[in-house]
Amino acid sequence: MRFLVFSFLVVASVGGAEKAVVPWSFKALKRPALPQVEGSVVELDRFIIDRLQREGAALNAVAERATLIRRVTLDLHGLLPTPQEVAAFVEAPLPDEAAFEAVVDGLLKSPRFGERWGRHWLDVVRYADSVGRSWNAPFIAAARYRDWVIDAFNSDMPYTQFVAAQVAGDLMPAKAGATNVVGTGMLALGSLDLTALQYDQFRLDRIDDQIDVTTRAFMGLTIACARCHDHKKDPVTQADYYALAGLFESSQTWSGTAHKAEHRGNLYVEPEYLLRVNGGSKTTVGAPLARGSINAMDDAPAMMSEEVVQPRNGNEPIRYGFDPGLVMAVTDDKPANCAIRVAGDPYQEGQTIRRGELAIPGLPPMPKVGPQESGRLQLAQWLTTPTHPLTSRVMVNRVWSHLFGQGIVRTVDDFGITGEKPDHPELLDHLAVKFVEGGWSVKSLIKMLVMSRTYRQSSVRVEGSAVARELLAGMPLRRVEMEVLRDVLLQVSGQLSLERPVGVPLAGTGGKGNSGRTRGLIGVESPYRTVYLPVLRDLLTPMHEVWDFPNPTQIKGQREVTTVPAQGLFMLNNAFVMEAAERFAEQLQESDTNEDARLTTIYEVLLCRQPEAEELKDAKELLGELGSGGEGLAGLVQAVMGGVEFRYRN
Amino acid sequence: MNNILYSNRRELLSRAGLGFGWLAFSALAQEGKRFESPLAPKTPHHQAKAKRVIFVFLNGGPSHLDTFDWKPELAKLDGRYLPPQFEFKPRGQSGIMISEAFPELAKQADDLCLINSATTKNPGHQQAVVAIHTGNEMFVRPSMGAWVTYGLGTMAQDLPGFITINPIGDLGGAGNYGSAFLPATYQGTRVSSGGGVPDLSNRVWAESDQVNQLRFMQKANRRFMAKTDAGHSELEGVIQSYELAFQMQRSVPEVFALDEEPQSVRDLYGIGNGVTDSFGQSCLMARRLAEKGVRFIQVTSSGWDHHNKIKEALADRAAAIDLPLAGLIQDLKQRDMLKDTLIVCSGEFGRGAHMDNGGGRGHQASGFTVWMCGGGVKGGQRYGETDELGVNAVVNAMPTHDLHATILHLLGLDHELLTYRYAGRDFRLTDVAGEVHTGIFS
Repeated sequence: MRFLVFSFLVVASVGGAEKAVVPWSFKALKRPALPQVEGSVVELDRFIIDRLQREGAALNAVAERATLIRRVTLDLHGLLPTPQEVAAFVEAPLPDEAAFEAVVDGLLKSPRFGERWGRHWLDVVRYADSVGRSWNAPFIAAARYRDWVIDAFNSDMPYTQFVAAQVAGDLMPAKAGATNVVGTGMLALGSLDLTALQYDQFRLDRIDDQIDVTTRAFMGLTIACARCHDHKKDPVTQADYYALAGLFESSQTWSGTAHKAEHRGNLYVEPEYLLRVNGGSKTTVGAPLARGSINAMDDAPAMMSEEVVQPRNGNEPIRYGFDPGLVMAVTDDKPANCAIRVAGDPYQEGQTIRRGELAIPGLPPMPKVGPQESGRLQLAQWLTTPTHPLTSRVMVNRVWSHLFGQGIVRTVDDFGITGEKPDHPELLDHLAVKFVEGGWSVKSLIKMLVMSRTYRQSSVRVEGSAVARELLAGMPLRRVEMEVLRDVLLQVSGQLSLERPVGVPLAGTGGKGNSGRTRGLIGVESPYRTVYLPVLRDLLTPMHEVWDFPNPTQIKGQREVTTVPAQGLFMLNNAFVMEAAERFAEQLQESDTNEDARLTTIYEVLLCRQPEAEELKDAKELLGELGSGGEGLAGLVQAVMGGVEFRYRN
Repeated sequence: MNNILYSNRRELLSRAGLGFGWLAFSALAQEGKRFESPLAPKTPHHQAKAKRVIFVFLNGGPSHLDTFDWKPELAKLDGRYLPPQFEFKPRGQSGIMISEAFPELAKQADDLCLINSATTKNPGHQQAVVAIHTGNEMFVRPSMGAWVTYGLGTMAQDLPGFITINPIGDLGGAGNYGSAFLPATYQGTRVSSGGGVPDLSNRVWAESDQVNQLRFMQKANRRFMAKTDAGHSELEGVIQSYELAFQMQRSVPEVFALDEEPQSVRDLYGIGNGVTDSFGQSCLMARRLAEKGVRFIQVTSSGWDHHNKIKEALADRAAAIDLPLAGLIQDLKQRDMLKDTLIVCSGEFGRGAHMDNGGGRGHQASGFTVWMCGGGVKGGQRYGETDELGVNAVVNAMPTHDLHATILHLLGLDHELLTYRYAGRDFRLTDVAGEVHTGIFS
C-alpha cells in the first residue's frame, strides 16, 4: 500500500514538473536597456528616476553632508563617525561626490566593514554558537567560521569563491594558507536534536538543514519543502530534493557535537568530531584531535584576561582549550545516493535518486557528478555559473536591502512563486549583471550603491504618494540594529574594544547543573563588538531579544522591526545604557570645561551635528532639573541616547 | 480597541502629570494615520468562547492511570501490571471518576472536562515536551502561546501578551515559549515568582527625574519627526512605547504584588502552606495576569516522571498542585472569569500499565489525559477513551494537532487560517493536520 502511494507520487511529480509554473526569478539574466533620464546620475539611478517619473514623483534633494557621513558610517561599519571625521567631510573643499567617495573608500578599507557585513551574512545562515533544541551543546569551534565570514568580507573575496567555499571549500584547490574549508562550517551549524530517538531521523534532519541553508541562502529557494512531497508551489520535486540529499549523504559533517548514538559517555560536545586543518596544501584533512582536549578547569589555558576564575568547589563549569587548528566543516565521505523517503519517514524508502541529477525546469543543468565524488563541488560550480539566474540576483538584492531598508524583492529569502515580485525587475537585473561583470566583488557593488544619487538623497519627507515613497522618493529612516546600538553605546562612552576575542568563550556541555549548563563567557557587558559575542540558541540575552535579534535557528535575511515598550524600558533603565551615559558624562567633564561646550559635544558625538538653540535651552532645563553635576549630565546624555534620532539612521 | 489604550494614557497623564502624551495624541489625531502596536488586540476569526488561556504544564509525564483515567480492568491485574495506585470515586453531580490523588480538584469535577484520549507522537521527554508546546518536535517552530498572541494580540498593553511562570530551562528551554520565525514580540516573557520583566526600575533616577527625562526625549522626538517625517508610524510607535514603558514600571510590580490579596484568597491557593505555597503563588499570579488581560499564561510544575515508587511520588506532586488548581478554578468562578478563561492542564505524555522499575510506570505516548476547564468547555464529562488497560486512545483520539486546533477554536481562531508566511509557505501551529473536537464544547 505504501509503495503504491509512493509510485503515484513519483508519476505525479514528473507530470507536475512539466506543467509547473516557473517563477519570474528563473528567467535568464539579461542586461536591460538604460532608461533615458535628465541629469548626470549613475546608471542605477536612471531606473529609480524613470520609475518615479511614471508615478509623477522624483528623487529627494541630496542629504546634508553631516547626515550622509553618519548614514554611511552606520551602514558600512555599524558605528558612528567621530566629530573630527564629520568635520573633515563637511569642510572638505571637494565636490560632493569626490568628497563622499573618499569617505566611502576609507570605510571599505577598514576591518570594521567586515564586522558589520559579516553579521548580515550570519543572519542568513542561522549562525549560532550552540546547537539548540533538546540538548543545547555549545559549538566550540563555530567562531572560526564566523571570523572566516568577517575576513571574507574584509578581503573582498569574490562572491563566487565565498559561495563555493561554503558548499565545497574542502574540495577547492588550496594554496598555502588557504582557508576555504572553513567556509563549509556553514553546513555544520544546523540546529538539531542531539537526543532524537532515532539516529536515522537525526541524520536526515541534518541533511535537510544542509539542503535548506544552501538553497535558501544562495538561491532564495525553499527546496527543503520537497522532503516529504513535491513542492506545492515551486517547480521542485521530491526527486530534486533527494538528488541534493545524496550530495550530503556522501559527506561527513564535523560539528564538534555528537548525537547520543555517536558519543561515548555522556558528552555531547565531542572535539573528535571537529576537523583538523593544517593550513596550506591540499591535505587539509588531518587526524582528529585526541579526546583529551576537553578540559576541565585544571588544564584550561587562560581564557579572556578579564575572566573570573571560578572557585574550585568540584562543581565547576566545563571549559574548553583553544585550538585554532580545529574547525567545523564538511568533507567528502563514501559516495552514496539517497533514497526518497516516503512522506519524509526515515524508514519508508522509495526509489533511489542519483545524486546531483537536479531537474528543476528553467534552471541550468548541474554538472555531472562522477561515481567517486560527493557532488558538492559540482553544486558549487553550478551555483557560481555566471548565467545562473538566482545566485547574483539573490545577493545583490540582499546587499540592496541592507542599504535601502528593504529588498527590490521584499522577500529576500524567497525568490520562488510564493515570494514577492521585484519592484524594479530591470534594476535588479542591471545590478546583477554589473555584479557578475565586476568579478562578483561585494565591495564594488556596495560602493556602486552608496555612491548613487538614490542613496545620497535626504530622508526628509516631501509630499508624495505612499507608492512613490516605497519606490524610494526619499531615503527611508531605519532603526539601527541591536549590534549597532550596543556597539555605538560602547564607542561613544570610550569602552569599545576593536580586538577580536581569542579562546573559546563558551562553557558547559548542554547538560544541567553548574558544570554542564551551556553559557557564554563574554557577555553584553564586555567591551567587544557585538558580532563577537557568543550567540546561544534558546539562551539569547534579553538585549538581543528586546531589539529583534533574529532567532538563530531560522534563516532570516531580513530582520523584524517591532516597536514595543520593552525597548522603552531598556533605554530608560538598562544598566548597560546607564553605564554608557555615565562614562560619556565623565569624559565630558574631563574634556570640556564649560557647560555649553559639553552640551555641544553631546550633540556632535551622538547625532553628528550641532545642537539648535532650542535644544540647548531644553538641555539646560533638564540639567537644572536633574542637577548639573556628573549625575545630571549623565541623565541628559541618556535622554539624548533615548531619542529616536540617535536610535535611527536617517 | 484603541480606546483602551487611550483611556489608559489619559489616566497616566492625570496620574503622573506628564505633558508629552497629549502632544502625541493630538499629532495622531491630526495625521489620521496611527501606529498599530503589534500587540494591539485583534479581531478573532469567529466568536470566541474563551478570551485567554492558562496552560498548566506538568513536566515529566504524569500518570493518567492513577488520576483521571479510571481503568477498572487494570485494577484486577497485577504481576507485570501495576494496578491504579489510588482509589477512584464518582465525583460531583456528573459522577465522573477521579482518584484520591486529587481530592480538592475532584470537588470541581462538574467543571472539569477530562480528555482521556490525548496522544503524542514520541515517548521521549525532549520530543514530547517540545511537541506539546510547539506542535512539532522535528523543527524549531513558534510556541502555542506565541501563535495565540500573534493571532489575537493582547488586552493589556502595559504587560507582555504571553507570560510563562517558572518554565523549565532544559528540554528545549526557551524554544518552548519562543517565537521561532514569528516576530520576537510574540514570544513568552519568562517570569519567576515575584516578577522578572527586565529593566523595570532605575538604580539612579526617581520617577520624577524620569518624568523630566521623558519630557525632554519626547519633545526631541517630536522635533525630529517634524523635521523629517511627521507621519512616520514607526517613530510614532517609539513615542508610544516610551509612555507605555513608563506606565509598566508601575503596573508590572503591581500585578506581581501577591500580598495585596486578602487572606481568604491566599488561603484558597494554599499560600503559606509549605506543600502548596510555591505552586499556589504561581496560580495566583496567573489569575492576576488573566485579570489584567494577558492573553496566554503558562504555569509549570515539574517532577512528574515517576518511574519509581509512583504511589509516594505522585502523591507528593499532586499534593503540591491539587489545592492551588482547585483554588484557581473557584477564584476565577467567583470573579465570573471562568466562563471566558480556558484552563488546560497536561503533561507531555502519560504512563503505561506495566510495572516499571521499583513500583513506577514507564512513558506512554499512545494515550493519556489532558483536562480542561472553563472557557467554553463542557464540564463534568469524560471525553474520548483509552482501551481497557489505558494504553491506546481508541475513541475520539486527540493527537497534539487536534488539541491545539481545539484550543485555538475556543479562542475564536481557525487553526487553518492562523498562518504566517515564512520560507516560501504559510506555516500553521497545526502544520497540515488538526481537527477541532467540538464534543468538548459546552
